[in-house]
Amino acid sequence: MKVFRLSQTELDNMVQGWSQNRRVYRPAAGRQQSTHADCAPGWERVAASTPLTLPPGPSKTSVKTFLFPQPETMQTYTLKSSDPDKGLMKEPQKATEKQIIVGLRPCDARSVKLNNLPFQEDPFYQVNLARTVMVGFTCSAMCATCFCDQMGGSPMGTEGLDIAISQVDGSFIAEVLTPVGEELTAEIRLTPAEDSEINALAERRKNSPQADFAKLDVLKGRDLNTLYKAALWQTLGESCINCGACTFNCPTCYCFDVQDEVVRGQGRRIRYWDSCMFPLYSLHTTGHNPRGQKMQRTRNRFMHKLKYFPERYGLFSCVGCGRCVKDCPVNIDIREVMSDLLAVE
Amino acid sequence: MSKTNKTSETNMTSETNETDTWEPKIIAFLCTWCSYAGADLAGVSRFQYPPNIRIVKVPCSGRVSENMILSALKSGADGILVSGCHPGDCHFISGNMFARRRSPLLGNLLEFVGIEPGRVSFSWVSASEGEQFAEIVKTVTERVKALGPATRLIKKIDQAA
Amino acid sequence: MPTINEKLTEEIRTQAKALLADGTVAAVIGYSRGSLPMTVKPTVVRASEDCGKLVWNSFCVLNLANYLPEVLKSVEPPRGPRDPKPEGPLAKVAVLATGCWSRNIVVQTQEHQVDRDRVVVLGVASRGMVSRRKVEEQFAGREILAVEEFDHDLVIKGADFEEKINRWSVVRDNCQTCTRPDPVLVDVRIGEPASERKNPNPFQQVDKIEEKSSDERWAWFTSEFSTCIRCYACRNACPLCYCPTCFVDDAKPQWVGKSLDAVDTGLFHLLRAYHCAGRCTDCGACESVCPMGINMRMLTKKLNKDVLNLYGMEAGMQPASPLPLTTYATDDPQKFIVTEAKAVKEGE
Repeated sequence: MKVFRLSQTELDNMVQGWSQNRRVYRPAAGRQQSTHADCAPGWERVAASTPLTLPPGPSKTSVKTFLFPQPETMQTYTLKSSDPDKGLMKEPQKATEKQIIVGLRPCDARSVKLNNLPFQEDPFYQVNLARTVMVGFTCSAMCATCFCDQMGGSPMGTEGLDIAISQVDGSFIAEVLTPVGEELTAEIRLTPAEDSEINALAERRKNSPQADFAKLDVLKGRDLNTLYKAALWQTLGESCINCGACTFNCPTCYCFDVQDEVVRGQGRRIRYWDSCMFPLYSLHTTGHNPRGQKMQRTRNRFMHKLKYFPERYGLFSCVGCGRCVKDCPVNIDIREVMSDLLAVE
Repeated sequence: MSKTNKTSETNMTSETNETDTWEPKIIAFLCTWCSYAGADLAGVSRFQYPPNIRIVKVPCSGRVSENMILSALKSGADGILVSGCHPGDCHFISGNMFARRRSPLLGNLLEFVGIEPGRVSFSWVSASEGEQFAEIVKTVTERVKALGPATRLIKKIDQAA
Repeated sequence: MPTINEKLTEEIRTQAKALLADGTVAAVIGYSRGSLPMTVKPTVVRASEDCGKLVWNSFCVLNLANYLPEVLKSVEPPRGPRDPKPEGPLAKVAVLATGCWSRNIVVQTQEHQVDRDRVVVLGVASRGMVSRRKVEEQFAGREILAVEEFDHDLVIKGADFEEKINRWSVVRDNCQTCTRPDPVLVDVRIGEPASERKNPNPFQQVDKIEEKSSDERWAWFTSEFSTCIRCYACRNACPLCYCPTCFVDDAKPQWVGKSLDAVDTGLFHLLRAYHCAGRCTDCGACESVCPMGINMRMLTKKLNKDVLNLYGMEAGMQPASPLPLTTYATDDPQKFIVTEAKAVKEGE
């Protein structure tokens, strides 16, 4: 593994160098959307003038906006009778050139691995994953809303990243972790980090909060039905307003729906984010809705993350980024839900 | 149809003529009792009016919801005309009065977000006003023509993905 | 000495406890403490011994009227959709209400969503709620770990800083321009009543946008709504949005597409705002809950301005008369009505 030391200017130059001939994205500095139409909310294309400094904590929206875009065009077609291809579903040409995501946090990097479990055989996700290079920033401290350590991650973690950048006393240490990362750093002349710096980083990693899911793992052994029938859901469901703020900003929520859009004879079949908070999510064609009540929908989100997903894949579907904690309009805190669930007998 | 003819005549000269030959598409929501009958009368009486309107027959102007108007804009209509019975003549007693009440709210809101004034119009045409219908369509068409093709709030489906 | 909000909290707890204890109400809708600084949890209290968790502070930004129809339903005896209404009076629900929330209860009553006789309004005069976003923007890049509230100041604490800021400077825009902080419905008074606030022009922000050119307004609209993630928090936080199926969920016809297409997002916000015309009380819940910080309130505020100017009505202020869009006058404005057809002809 190659390790380099960069100053702020060198870091900015490196990232801007990449952006000369590639698409490089970073968490948006301002609130408003950048001018690039290809960019998801909360992110922007790297511009020449803005230095790469990040506020503590994860980006506003998660990295899933790149791998599981909202929307993904699955097929296109025309309904114009003059067109000989009328009614033929065509697969659109997928972009395959590399895109570089700079500034994601270790929690988001871990979410990619978790989402890869259900999306293992999903061609759209896999194509996006293959073209995405992830240059992450490790966290020097955990925010009040962060709990990545409880979910099996760590603020200094490098899992899922191609290059991990850590800030150490005003300069940056870049760890190149994959061949793709090496390819990117090979283009630029960089100063290798000294052994003392590498040791200091290792020391810091050792002292940072470590992955510890011993407490939560207890949940895996609990009876599903008991948890399902727990009284806490009623209270929780009562204050939930069933919006999608938690699910849409969650890096590990991956539910989608498929719809056709036709305008002036041109059509496309898209898949777009769906949320188990919405009544339409589970509505049957018959009109029956197995999750017709607010409480049932609220319960589903947490049960899926903490029980159904682990039952199937062995891992909790949560990376502890704390976005849902921050964004929830009614302050439903998944950490409280977890401790309440642990208390259910 | 006139549009196709004109284009085929001019497409040999230059492509810039595309804008010269542009004809607005105007969606007209006409109530079945008055305005649609008025349009019918205009046709029967051979009053000429611009062929730019595409008529959608509705039971009452009060039935035309903001969803329909914005849907038409989204689909690329250059102008919208909602026409019903004169106040007091509604076949459902007051549907047109409710439509009139709502009209400035939607119109102002659209202008507030930058849709050019004149894209959305309302009118009253009775079943006996064939000539007036033709005049209103002329006025609306001229107004939309002066604005040029609609560019805002139009949904485009990108075939490239 | 206790602060104003501490006194109010105490009073809320006492009143709620009394109402639940003597069986006047079956549930109280209020707020309990949140897990993060500047947050509170909307809470339904059903037992008098739980009233101790109720709190009142400057961060109660969600409109509690939003919960009223559902909680009212929850205290009714369970019955199937075709079963007749049970005989005798149904259980009551108490709800905390400030000026705007109480006006929303009036609107809900006018729209037959709420039976006024079953609601006990605990009226609190609002001192203006603080915008969490404004505080966070002021402390951008620094993490806020605790906020202590005093009557006129907030003390913001982080790991390595502690700063005092003026409370009013971070109060939400809608509260700063509000003229009616006192509830219009009061069954049980909490604290002191507040008098009407003078504000020569509560629509100043709207006027500023109106002054712009058409192109500038379009640029404002497209950039303001560009970050929408379509989570519908604005819609769900709104006490006016109670349709069982929202227009965005209609697939045939599909009024609005469901992706992040700029046109679809814009249409969603336009239609959502328009559906609140004549009903919105500018409570600011939509804007407060938006995870992306979009000022969608500007659209409803614009509609409020027009409804006031054209029809002289404000939502929730005329409980006896019909809502502005469910009635009409013979001399309603004809601004968008093409009547010059004849004139054109005569001119020729």
